[in-house]
This record gives sequence, C-alpha cells and structure tokens, in this order.
Amino acid sequence: MSSSSSPMQSTGRKLKLKSKDDETFEVEEAVAVKSQIFKYMVEDGVSNGPIPLPNVNGKTLARVLQWCQKHADPTITEDELNKYDAGFIDVDQAVLYDLLMAANYLNIEELLKLACMRVADMIKGKSPDEIRRTFNIKNDFTPEEEEEVRKENAWALGP
Amino acid sequence: MGATLSGLEYGTNGSGMGPGLGDIPESCVACVFLYLTPPEICNLARLNRAFRGAASSDSVWERKLPPNYQDLLDLLPPERYQNLSKKDIFALLSHPVPFDHGNKEVWLDRVTGRVCMAISARGMAITGIEDRRYWNWVSTEESRFHIVAYLQQIWWFEVDGVVKFPFPADIYTLSFRLHLGRFSKRLGRRVCTFEHTHGWDIKPVRLDFSTSDGQVASSQCCLDDTEHDNHKRGCWIDYKVGEFIVSDSEPATEVKFSMKQIDCTHSKGGLCVDSVFIIPTDLKNKKEEGF
Repeated sequence: MSSSSSPMQSTGRKLKLKSKDDETFEVEEAVAVKSQIFKYMVEDGVSNGPIPLPNVNGKTLARVLQWCQKHADPTITEDELNKYDAGFIDVDQAVLYDLLMAANYLNIEELLKLACMRVADMIKGKSPDEIRRTFNIKNDFTPEEEEEVRKENAWALGP
Repeated sequence: MGATLSGLEYGTNGSGMGPGLGDIPESCVACVFLYLTPPEICNLARLNRAFRGAASSDSVWERKLPPNYQDLLDLLPPERYQNLSKKDIFALLSHPVPFDHGNKEVWLDRVTGRVCMAISARGMAITGIEDRRYWNWVSTEESRFHIVAYLQQIWWFEVDGVVKFPFPADIYTLSFRLHLGRFSKRLGRRVCTFEHTHGWDIKPVRLDFSTSDGQVASSQCCLDDTEHDNHKRGCWIDYKVGEFIVSDSEPATEVKFSMKQIDCTHSKGGLCVDSVFIIPTDLKNKKEEGF
C-alpha cells in the first residue's frame, strides 16, 4: 500500500519508508520532514533505499503519514486543521498509544503534542482508581505508602 | 526492556492486551504533564511508585511555577525553602505568603500557578482611622487578615493604598472587598445590623487605581440601594475597579489605588472595609465570591 497522492502539484522528491511489518510507503519530502528524523536525513542527503522503521507498524505509519500530509498542505485553514486533529485523535487507547509512540520515535512535535493532550484529557476529572482502570495501571503501593502519598499531595486538593 | 509507568514489564500489561497507555515512556509522560494542572499531577502521583516519581520531577514543576518565583521565595526566610524540590516550592507558594508586616499576602493559584495578592485595610491609609468616632478595627474570621475596618460615620471617606511587586506578566483585576452593615454571630447564626448604614445611596463612591507605567482605571457606584430589593447589604461584595496589564515582572509594578466619597454635604457610614484584591482577570472570572 503506498501513500495517497498529494493534492498539490509535486515536484519534490519522495522518500521511501518501510514499516516494521514490511509495508512500504512513498511520501513527498515536503510531507516527510514533519518528522525531525526525516528532516535531518533529507538535509544530510541520505536515503537511497527505503528507510527501515523497526518501531512503527504499517497501520500506524499510514495514519501518521496521512496526518503529516494534511499538516503539510498549504491551502488548509487553521480551523479545518483543528477540526481534522480533533477527529484524528479521537481513537481508542491502543491506536492512541501507537500514535504517541510513533510521534515520539519519529520526533513529530505537533503530533506528539496532540497525542499527549488527548491522554491528558482522558486523565482529567478521574480519581486515581478510575485512571488505573482506564489505563490498566498496576497499584504497587503498600497501604502505608498509599497513605503517605495521599498526605503529601493533600495540599493540592483542598480549598 | 525497562520498567514503565504502568509498573509492568515493557510490552506487557498483564491482561494479554498488548502495551497500553500505562506503558508510555517517562519522557512522554512529562509531555502529558504539560497539559495537566498541579492538582491533576498530584492526583497522578497516587497511581503507583513510578508515577509518584514522574509527578515529582523538577522539570515538570519548574514549568508550573511563574518565571520569577524566586521573587516570592525572597519574601520568606531562606531556611523555609532551601532544600525543597520544585514541587514542594509550588506547594509552599500556593499558601499565602505574608509581607509588609503581614498587611499583604501573595500566593500562587493552585490550579494555574498564577500570582494573586490581597492587601489588608491595615495596610492602607484611611482618613480618620485614628478617631474612634469614625472608624473601629473589628476582629473577624470573615477576613483572611482576621481584621476589618468598620466605619460608623464620616463625611470625608477616603481609603488609599499602594503596593509595589514584581507581578509576572498577566492581566490583573483590582477590586475592593466591602460589606454594608455590621455583622456578628448570635447563638451560632450570622446576624447583620444596619444601624449605621447610611449615605451610600446619595452619591456614588469613586474607585481608582494607577500603575507606575501609566495605566489607570476608575469606576463609580452607589454602594447602597434603598429603593429596590436590596442585594447590596449584609454580604461581602468585590467592587471591581478595573484591569491592568503587566508585560514583565521586571521592573516591579507599582499600583496606587483609592476609594473616595468626599462630598461633605452628606455623611456616610455603616460599612466594613476588608481588603483589596489583585487577581489575574481570567481567574477572577472563574472564581466565586468569597475569600
């Protein structure tokens, strides 16, 4: 599966990427450089063969590249971009996790920010128990530790 | 494979579902913390040991403190804050820090980390304050300074004050906290009397401030309303004077403020003056009355 063609007339070169499950993607340089990793590669004149990305699977890479393409489009308005982002990041935890890790690995600042904000939104307003359940986090405190932590953070909660 | 914040081995989460958001690396967690408020971060500290550690990191809390937080710490003796982590410093500064002989207090809003200030009537110049026929000091728990100035009656009503402080960049609202009538507790219930309350519906009171960089604001209002359903009596009301903008904590901003009703053809009285508040406008709009 290759990336969908860019809506703009492209004269730029393309980068070839290979996901960890061996899917290959072709993407315009102008789109790829949303990732700082690719930006350096392009600037350093690297990349003849496909660039292997052992930490990102094909499905996630496809999504990420779609996002990059949208954000590289000069005709899109800020409003449209915000709407797009809101829809883009409204995904289940597994996908969100994959997107966050990919954005981190590929060093795509805006996408990482978007994913982290979404995680923050999922945390807001929940009690520690609810958060543990939502994210399947193990409580490894002893009862004494738990009380200690509760006390040392009480200042933030009271009036 | 290393430990992650979920407390489980990287790549597993014990339910066989594959890695989840509890497994994101600590560097990403720091990014998430950027979008959480201090109370939310403290909430996360209670999840497990790894989150407790991440939620205490200096780099997280440095970003929640105002850039010139040292100016607030300077109001305290060094031993109070010397070996504190940035989180503990935030906790410390989120409680009121007194200065100017306890006549003023400054603190960080717990949720936003923005600087708020209150100035007691004790720290203001009140015309006639030394004459007990006009003014009396009344101890009360209804003031954060535990004392308010009660005006029995006077012709020349004037209250002036000034504060110079390195406020961080923000837009601030200055207001006077006033109470028409005298209050006390009888058998556990709050009781108000208005025996001295008069004159405020005749002419308006004028409230002003000016800053060292030339910003000014002024507002006028009648504190009392004897004609219609009177909601102005018997409760604390914040009378907003206006807003001022601070673009940098340096140089320190000086604000002079005053409240006057000096038309000497009529007397006025029966009013409690508690304090002046300087609060970021956004915060003020969100908060309920009552400090």
